[in-house]
Amino acid sequence: MKRFSISPPVAALLLAVVLFLLSGLLPNGFGSDLNVAYAQAMNILRLSVFLGVIAAGQTLVIISGFEGIDLSAGSVVTLTAILTYVYVSGANEKVFVALLLSLAVGAVIGLLNGAGITYLKISPFVMTLGMSGVVTGIVIILNHGNVQGKIAPIMTRLIARPFLPSIPIPNALIIWLVFGVLMWLLLERTTFGKQLFAIGVNRVTAKLSGVNVNGMNLATYSLAGALAGFGGFLVVGNTGVVLIQLGQPFLFPSIAAVAVGGTLLSGGKGSYWGTMAGAIVLTLITSLLTTMQMPDSVRRMALGVTLLVMISIYGRQRALRQ
Amino acid sequence: MKRLTWNTLLVRYPSLFALILLVLTIAVNFIVQPKLFAIDTLNSNMRVFLPLILLSAGQAVVILGGGIDISVGAIVCIVNTILATRVGLQGSPEAMLQYTALSLLVGILAGAINGFFVAHLRLQPIITTYATSFLYGGLALYILPNPGGGIPAPIAELYRSSTPFGIPLAFFVIAILLLLWGYLRSTRYGNYLYAVGGKAQAAYETAVPVVWLQFSTYVISGFMAALSGVAITMLSGAGNAEIGLAMTLTSITAVVIGGNALSGGVGGVAGPVMGAIALSFVQNIISFARIDTWWETLVKALIIIVALATPGIINLFRRRT
Amino acid sequence: MTLSLSARNIVKRYGGVVALSDGNLEVNSGEVVALIGANGSGKSTLSKVLNGVVTLDGGQLLLDGKPLHFASPQSAKKMGISTVFQELSLIPQMSVADNIWLTREPLSPLGVVSKATVFAKTEELLSLFTGMFKTELRPDSLVSDLPSDEKQIIEILKAVSFNPRLLILDEATASLDSRQVHRLFDLVAKWKGEGKAIVFISHRMEEIFQIADRYSVLRNGKTVGAGDMKDITEKDLVKLMIDKDSVFQYARSGTSTAENPVCLEVKDLRNQVLRGISFEVHEGELLGIGGLQGQGQRNLLLSLFGDIPFSGTIHFNGQPAQFRHPRQAMESGFALVPGDRAREGLLYIRSTLENLQLPSWARYGFPLKIDKAKDDAERMGARLKLVMAGLQEPVSSLSGGNAQKVVIGKWLMRQPSILLLDDPTKGVDVGTKAEFYALLTKLCEEGKTILFYSSDDEELIGLCDRVLVLHDGSIQTELVGAALTKENLIAASLGVAHGDAS
Repeated sequence: MKRFSISPPVAALLLAVVLFLLSGLLPNGFGSDLNVAYAQAMNILRLSVFLGVIAAGQTLVIISGFEGIDLSAGSVVTLTAILTYVYVSGANEKVFVALLLSLAVGAVIGLLNGAGITYLKISPFVMTLGMSGVVTGIVIILNHGNVQGKIAPIMTRLIARPFLPSIPIPNALIIWLVFGVLMWLLLERTTFGKQLFAIGVNRVTAKLSGVNVNGMNLATYSLAGALAGFGGFLVVGNTGVVLIQLGQPFLFPSIAAVAVGGTLLSGGKGSYWGTMAGAIVLTLITSLLTTMQMPDSVRRMALGVTLLVMISIYGRQRALRQ
Repeated sequence: MKRLTWNTLLVRYPSLFALILLVLTIAVNFIVQPKLFAIDTLNSNMRVFLPLILLSAGQAVVILGGGIDISVGAIVCIVNTILATRVGLQGSPEAMLQYTALSLLVGILAGAINGFFVAHLRLQPIITTYATSFLYGGLALYILPNPGGGIPAPIAELYRSSTPFGIPLAFFVIAILLLLWGYLRSTRYGNYLYAVGGKAQAAYETAVPVVWLQFSTYVISGFMAALSGVAITMLSGAGNAEIGLAMTLTSITAVVIGGNALSGGVGGVAGPVMGAIALSFVQNIISFARIDTWWETLVKALIIIVALATPGIINLFRRRT
Repeated sequence: MTLSLSARNIVKRYGGVVALSDGNLEVNSGEVVALIGANGSGKSTLSKVLNGVVTLDGGQLLLDGKPLHFASPQSAKKMGISTVFQELSLIPQMSVADNIWLTREPLSPLGVVSKATVFAKTEELLSLFTGMFKTELRPDSLVSDLPSDEKQIIEILKAVSFNPRLLILDEATASLDSRQVHRLFDLVAKWKGEGKAIVFISHRMEEIFQIADRYSVLRNGKTVGAGDMKDITEKDLVKLMIDKDSVFQYARSGTSTAENPVCLEVKDLRNQVLRGISFEVHEGELLGIGGLQGQGQRNLLLSLFGDIPFSGTIHFNGQPAQFRHPRQAMESGFALVPGDRAREGLLYIRSTLENLQLPSWARYGFPLKIDKAKDDAERMGARLKLVMAGLQEPVSSLSGGNAQKVVIGKWLMRQPSILLLDDPTKGVDVGTKAEFYALLTKLCEEGKTILFYSSDDEELIGLCDRVLVLHDGSIQTELVGAALTKENLIAASLGVAHGDAS
């Protein structure tokens, strides 16, 4: 693996800045108007929040190693968004319970993933892919006709609006920053975090050092599911609309974000700050393509190429010959 | 000694489970659909199953070599969109032939790209082919943004009702496929495949050309995916850029129930072929059971999960005894 | 068929670690050269350079006087160099015949492998070792079903089937019993007569004196001596290997612990490998576990630690101690220092701090008091005289000896009452070994109990008062005091019952 003098999260942030400045040069770009630039930057950041939260769970399972990945995240987002939508029905007082519901549903699905991976020895990719089909099936059943529901005003206020009229920072961004700090605490200042990195590097050593590997696996996937559920709650709070494919567009970028952020796809090393930077980069790429009026197909190809480039730089396995 | 024989049995005859499953599903299908063995029904069923069978065969080879190919479904999509746009509903048989040849080349190229990243750059197969699946899927969408186009009805009809020597076309194809595999298996390449899938480092130290071997498995998989794309286009007669996406997971499931180890080095191609047929019969049974359309997606997904879980469940029981 | 191979001033680095700084070897047709060196001296590395598995960073290889450069293991094979590896290069899921002939399968027309020829040729090879197999070894037996000695024989046959000009035997006798070794040496003598050149890498002195014509000694990556076997004695060879006048005195504590209370009682321990093991250990004792490799020693330690299931009863300080998970063992005061530190003892890419604290994070509260953790780790590092760039550096930057210190340090931080050591000094340099022995003796004086498995007989004799020799999953003999001699150890290892109780 090549050694860079700057850490991957910082490199990703620099890339984001460069991309942003480039976007300013485009026909629809901000040119030299600082106010417009600021507004656009805030918009990008606000959009990145949702991808960033959804990619949090992905970060955890990838760090846990053993080819960990969560392909059910997209469908969990859709499911919890719909559940929130239907349950809240416009009532402010139901919002808190809806949040708990989203976390719980996500956690249960994650737990099922973890169980299949740990006890039935199904590879994480295959297990979570299969689970995403099951969750989508449930979504279709719930969506039988049309869902009736509505988000509560408090959600819009807390998520979509800025903090104060005088401070034009979107609330969502503040939520994300707090979330980022909590993720850092989890990964670097708890036993769970230390053990997570341990099982990502070497499960045998971890077990022989007293770590309950199976328990950690279950906990990680459950937590990832819960975080995806939180993501669904935020997404529906932001847009106020539900679609069958609400969560799907976040799935691939969530994985790419983790890779761009420098977390080793083989596990055992990484950080959420990197994922946050990666989420911003990916949101920028998508946004750039939209501004250039590129169709969805080009967006998909660009995402595929981005991930390929990232793993080519960061993801080389050991050579056969030393 | 008892443990020895269990192990040996599973390694020597991994497709035993797939065979049992196949017999079971045929039996259930027969109950639900008594006309199962009539020539028309058989032909009709097999032509529907063929795309998945071809795809699973290619996937089986990649997995035997220790890798996996998540982009196969997307390659099917590319081929379908090429044929649907270039040949079109009014196309000529010559055009069909030309673009079929082109599609096969595209499949080989797509496989080569995968092979380059995985075998030469030594990147992780899952993430790499996941990334290329988006690249290829996006390309298919670019070629055909909205469902439309297709191939001329007479050509599709040819696929549907061809019965050379009175046996459905699909059976011929499967037979040729298995013969080719049998030949491949009995050559040095076959041994290399199992060696690399079994323990790549040891194979390398024994001077097996590991990189070239792994590269070739992805090319084979790409080619089979293209073939599958041609088959599915002839089956549906229409173009749809998302036509193949769901087949990726099903092809992996077919390989798993076919008795191949996902880690490589164990199994064959006959097992996955049987697995693909069994899975297809199961889907047939579901259609006949007349389940509410709303529930169909869920039921199909649950079946896939159960199929994937079965080797694991069997292992759990084995460890208890 | 004559050949002359020289390796001159070979340098090889793995990342930051220098495995070889001046490796040399000369071998010609019709002779056996013994390549000797302690663990970690660079023996294996030199052999890997000779057969093309790793590239060299400096120095020269000359074949028949002409400079040589291997592009891959294939090139070495083409030039007639064949190796029997230490870590088996067999594919477990394939058969014996397929493994031996991989890449050279005889073909019939159309490129199909000719199964009949393969079968016949394999039988021919197997006949070289007739009568030496415990199982019914056939060409189509699966390698994964074979015991380790038979796997080793297949590995040897595979190397020989190339009809090489130079055969490198890298610790090839490690898993073989004495009859099989004897047969192998008969074959070696025959091959010598046919003009083959042979490099014999081993640390078993008796075998070296039996079979070798010349010797070459490596120490800490450098060749320090070479010559004819008839001109040297075992004592001098050892001196070259470890640069001390005699095998250094282990600080064996004089006090006997037989009077101390029994702290660990094991009754009828059974699982797939162990066949009813029972023994007792006294407090403060340094109990040795010996025997040939693969007789259940590792399995015993892992079972005691809760990593492998078993049936039987264990009592520690009067309390039941049948653990189902290392976590339980840990919390009862057990510690395990595993044999393969890279694969079982360390988190290679994580920092030294994280490695030292891995079992102990729960003590530092929530959120983790990292500074306190760093202080505790520093203190442990000082106590063990750990040489490192810093606590935050990845543990991969440490030398073998220091890395092993981290492995034991991580357990010492928890003040364990009983330590289980699985061949801990493998690949550790001589200076660190000495520190290690002093540490172990000191721990026993402090009242800790140690179970110490070693594949090195000298170590066992030097350090322990009592040694349990395992053979085929059960305790063959218990050797105490005066009966604890090299001859008795070896005899017991090979399954010969000890004459009278001592």
